[in-house]
Amino acid sequence: MGEVIENVGFTTTSAISDFLKKTPAQDIINWGRKNSLWFLTQPMGCCGVEMISTGCSHYDTDRFGIIPRDSPRQADVIVISGYVTKKYLPALKRVWDQMPSPKWIICMGDCSISGGPFYESYSTVQNIDEIFPVDVFIPGCPPRPEALIQGFIELQKKIMAKKDLGTDY
Amino acid sequence: MIDADYILSSLTKTFPNDLSESKIESDMRLTSYVEKDAIFNVCKHMLDNLECNHLSCECGVDYPDRNELEVVYHIASYEHPVVITLKVKLPRDDPEIESIVSVYWNANWYERETYELYGIMYKNHPDLKPLLLIDEMLGDWPLRKDYEGFPNKTSKNLV
Repeated sequence: MGEVIENVGFTTTSAISDFLKKTPAQDIINWGRKNSLWFLTQPMGCCGVEMISTGCSHYDTDRFGIIPRDSPRQADVIVISGYVTKKYLPALKRVWDQMPSPKWIICMGDCSISGGPFYESYSTVQNIDEIFPVDVFIPGCPPRPEALIQGFIELQKKIMAKKDLGTDY
Repeated sequence: MIDADYILSSLTKTFPNDLSESKIESDMRLTSYVEKDAIFNVCKHMLDNLECNHLSCECGVDYPDRNELEVVYHIASYEHPVVITLKVKLPRDDPEIESIVSVYWNANWYERETYELYGIMYKNHPDLKPLLLIDEMLGDWPLRKDYEGFPNKTSKNLV
């Protein structure tokens, strides 16, 4: 009782994560992450229609590991697919907080980039990228599903290059 | 057959002093200005006696030159092909009008939206609170012509 154990090698979670980040183990982890980018089915405007059709069988995004999910708890990517009104921003932040890390954001369409037709409107939020860490912007009004798939592939490249904002390196 | 003529004659008979600038545009369209104290009774009369049982929309218009706000009611019917446009003039500094939610239930959200965008106060509305805007923007009245609260900061993604 009351013995002091000395000279025992301790490790901590931060030490483990430091070890993983500084060794090629992170490359293997990123390889797994980039091939399972599940995105949240959260349409917010007319781009949402394109986003849903991207998730349907015709474009077969399963070949990239991109699968639509209905729950933020199971999703890795959130696609801001439209204008963000001031009323909707708290709900969007809440959905973003519910997603487990690592998580990424893709801005889809002109509305989420600059406001689009709702540029300088009284009820929309300007400059989404000041609020969320956005990795990929996809211009277009709305972008075609191929453009969204290319956006996902650019995100995969960023993850493999360790340049993404979603992971804390 | 109830048409625009019939409705106008019925309205002028029931409310002889409250209608002005009435205009029959065709068999189907009737436009009229109504005094603001009478609009509740006019709507009730149209629902009860004239089978005008569908409120298509209710909206506001701002006329800063005349220092007036207008509330516009489009009332239609499922029984006969008539659309009636009723307009009510309100003073711009104190716009207050009787709510017609107890006559047409779907006016509830129309009136909430007109309230938050134009600042028109609806008396006896069951739950007058902002519909689409955040609570902090209440009092800005964004659709009035003299609204100056636009963000006015260029989105930095635009070059």
